[in-house]
Amino acid sequence: MNEKSPLQRQSDIFDIVVVGAGPGGYVAAIRAAQHGLRVAVVERAELGGVCANWGCIPTKAMLHGADVAHAIEESAALGFAVAGVAFDMGSLVGFSRKVVARLTGGIASLLDANGIEVVRGSATVAGKGRVRVDLPDGVGRDLRADHIIVATGARPRSIPGVVPDGDRIWTSTDALRPADRPASLVVIGSGAIGVEFASLYRDLGTEVILLEAAPAILPVEDAAVSAFVEKQFTARGIAVHTGVSIDSVQAGPASVEVRFRTAAGADVSTVAERVLVATGVAANSEGLGLAELGVRFDRGFVVTDEWCRTAVAGLYAVGDVAGAPCLAHKASHEAVVCVDRIVGEPGVHPLDRDYIPGCTYSRPQVASLGLTEKQARETGRPLQVGVFDLVANGKALALNEPSGFVKTIFDGETGELLGAHLVGPEVTEMIQGFGIARGLEATAESLADIVFAHPTVSEAMHESVLAALGRSLHWPPAKATAAR
Amino acid sequence: MTDIKAVELPKWGMTMEDGAVDEWHLAEGQPFSTGDALCTIDSSKISNDLEAPFDGFLRRIVARPGQTLPVGALLAVSADPSVPDADIDAFVEARTGAASAEPAPASAAAAVPVAAAAVPVAAAVSVAAVAAAATTNGAPTRAPAAPLPGTLLVPEVLRGAADETVFATPHALAYAREHGIALGAVTGTGPEGRVAIKDIESAIVGAGGRLPTRTRADRSGPARSRADDSAVPATPVARRLAQSLGINLHDCRSTGTRDRVCRLDVEEAARRFGLGEHSATPASNPAPEPARPENAPTPVPFSPMRRTIAARLQSSVQTAPHFRVNTEIVLDRVLALRADINAATPGVKVSVNDLVVKAAALALRRVPEVNVQFDEATQTVLRFPDADISVAVAIPDGLITPIVRAANRKSVGEISAELTDLATKAKAGKLRPEEFQGGTFSVSNLGMLGVTSFDAIINPPQAAILAVSAGIARPVVESGAVVVRTVMEVSLSSDHRVIDGALAATFVGELKAILQAPTQMLV
Repeated sequence: MNEKSPLQRQSDIFDIVVVGAGPGGYVAAIRAAQHGLRVAVVERAELGGVCANWGCIPTKAMLHGADVAHAIEESAALGFAVAGVAFDMGSLVGFSRKVVARLTGGIASLLDANGIEVVRGSATVAGKGRVRVDLPDGVGRDLRADHIIVATGARPRSIPGVVPDGDRIWTSTDALRPADRPASLVVIGSGAIGVEFASLYRDLGTEVILLEAAPAILPVEDAAVSAFVEKQFTARGIAVHTGVSIDSVQAGPASVEVRFRTAAGADVSTVAERVLVATGVAANSEGLGLAELGVRFDRGFVVTDEWCRTAVAGLYAVGDVAGAPCLAHKASHEAVVCVDRIVGEPGVHPLDRDYIPGCTYSRPQVASLGLTEKQARETGRPLQVGVFDLVANGKALALNEPSGFVKTIFDGETGELLGAHLVGPEVTEMIQGFGIARGLEATAESLADIVFAHPTVSEAMHESVLAALGRSLHWPPAKATAAR
Repeated sequence: MTDIKAVELPKWGMTMEDGAVDEWHLAEGQPFSTGDALCTIDSSKISNDLEAPFDGFLRRIVARPGQTLPVGALLAVSADPSVPDADIDAFVEARTGAASAEPAPASAAAAVPVAAAAVPVAAAVSVAAVAAAATTNGAPTRAPAAPLPGTLLVPEVLRGAADETVFATPHALAYAREHGIALGAVTGTGPEGRVAIKDIESAIVGAGGRLPTRTRADRSGPARSRADDSAVPATPVARRLAQSLGINLHDCRSTGTRDRVCRLDVEEAARRFGLGEHSATPASNPAPEPARPENAPTPVPFSPMRRTIAARLQSSVQTAPHFRVNTEIVLDRVLALRADINAATPGVKVSVNDLVVKAAALALRRVPEVNVQFDEATQTVLRFPDADISVAVAIPDGLITPIVRAANRKSVGEISAELTDLATKAKAGKLRPEEFQGGTFSVSNLGMLGVTSFDAIINPPQAAILAVSAGIARPVVESGAVVVRTVMEVSLSSDHRVIDGALAATFVGELKAILQAPTQMLV
């Protein structure tokens, strides 16, 4: 037996060990360190997880490029004669990687500044309170902690019979580092990821076909939002097919053939340069030793209670690995709730998974919170629904993008905000306002009392609330009450 | 008077009733800012710095070090240097009620028949306050046995349960509940016969009872509610503002949306109670940094926690005659049981220490003479039916002993979950006072650091502490043969004033019997 000195022994003993340094894991580690606990975070790849490295952040950097392409396109209307425009995909990818490097470097310094030990290697939960880390140099380390938080995230999931190969058949990761701009792209799946890439590549000049198995694109959004985005996409030259079933995806040396059946029952074959499979994510829950300890799973996702506890003593899971919605901000929030609960911080509330805002950074942007109108109607509660069209918003007109709307759904009895659905310019920055309102239990009346600055796109939020109360100021009375 | 502010003894935790200033960090005449440590306060269990709740100028120190005072008592007075001394005197007099109780502050202190811990002439402490100090648990001085002139006396005719059907103000209802007053016997003079506090007070006086001498300043100005206001609907901003201004939400109107108390309501109440905005920081002249010699050692001041540890353990060693009884316990069956439990139940992670705590709790039930606290003041041994076990947890700047209550009645799994929870809270500094104050017996385990034996200092007012060392493979003689067993040494330190040698030996013997046949703990 290898006798360790007390200090050697203590160097492997922590109060909390976090597995995974994505937006769930690194936030959990920082929060725990803020409470004065001794914390280690284990990461096998890059700090920041998918979000910072292959998700939220690099896509936004690439979409910024798409916005510039769009700006050049519309610049003539504003008096610019832009000539000799050329585009280099490598430079845009390079920009996005630089953004990623800056951000992940920031996470490393944050962890360091909080006194958190970063252990690089692959973790397994070897037993209750024990994390085995296999280090790259072949040596292992056995960490011990009363509390282990699994924040291992998720990875792109394909559909049966379609195997991404990183060349012709892409996952979102491949779509973030293309060697060149594809002339044509078939996007399978129209959740936030599929829609963002369809929009991005279309603005860069690629011919895009967007295929969705559900009856509408952006299936989790309000039906009016889905219909609006589909209309906008179609107008931009994106071929949108909903209600399709994919028969086969066959990669050739220079192209890939996609066969699918349309909603009408017609068999269609299309050939494109690349295919992007964006059909959801699978939890990174295998190979960690969780099942052996008695952790329960639901379709691969770890089952947790409202405090992120698994069925195993001292073992917790936060973020994507603990189930939908698979969003970075949900992971970070769960991380804080989980840690605060562990240390007995007063006033901790469980996360209400129904009220996590969701954003899609396509053109037009989509942002939403809470119930769709259909879901709200299904509750049987009396509703007050307001819609305000951005065609009557001065700032949207000035931005040359006066299309989109803000829909708000209130409980007619309690005045509680049940849902907010926004589509149009800048709406991803506006949704926080409704999140704050909901969080502070504002009512429709109290929102109507707020002074909104003019001229802003956000004024449409106010008008939407006024519309819900039947008090629209900037919309004629007859149309204000008309159903959308 | 609005420029004069009181610094009061805070309430830290639900069980805190009184406290004493240990040391003032500022002298009279010094300015201070919000958050500055004004003084160190010792309650019966914890010592901590009182941070200034506002910016001010320390004009008068009322509470002298060592003087035990009730929660809410006046500690010091803050006012701008321009305020005349006479106003400060008047404020102190009004706050401590000295003027109404006695002709002069000096004689108020002198008249108290207690050699009250160095009450200075200037500290105009009311009779009630000093009396309360004298009756404080553990205070070295004792109160006279006669009824105290300053306390509330409810006449027999008014005693009874507070009848909630009587039309009364919430404040009056709470008052009646607190003091066991039958509201039906009180005549209300408010609108539609509503009973208010003043009606109760005149009923008490009218029936021959007596009202307490006020120790708080809220005699002047409108009545203030002290009821729990957590259920009052209020906006988050209003709730926080009220808390910071010390305003009870019951005292606020609710003009906000959906009848909630909003910010304006709290501000209105603040004006009503004369709580002005925090005055601007007086121009401060920071004292010049004293010159430090080169290569000076870094002074590491004792933290409040270290001070508490130092004071309590030093006093324990000095006052309790310690003796130790040791035994070796063969741990193999405990280890096997632990492995079985952990393998069979995902939701449980039992440590050896959890099993030791459970075994100690059972042994304490068998030998209840060890499950005691010793009240030195009254020379009484308090014997407890349940084993509330304090478990020492090492934390970065000291140690703390969170308590597993009634461990004898809890399962091993419950004890385990609770101990993990308490230890993490302890490390994060989130323990509530009731989670570490009290206890009937202590366990200190240094096994994880590999020690073969040690002994511990008793945690007063308890009378015994168990020191648990590491389980180590050793040759053991069983039925005449030498076999290898995992052996753990335990050492029981006892207070010989309370526990004798044979009793201590009996306790460790029972503990050993339980741990060597550990299935007893499961039934």
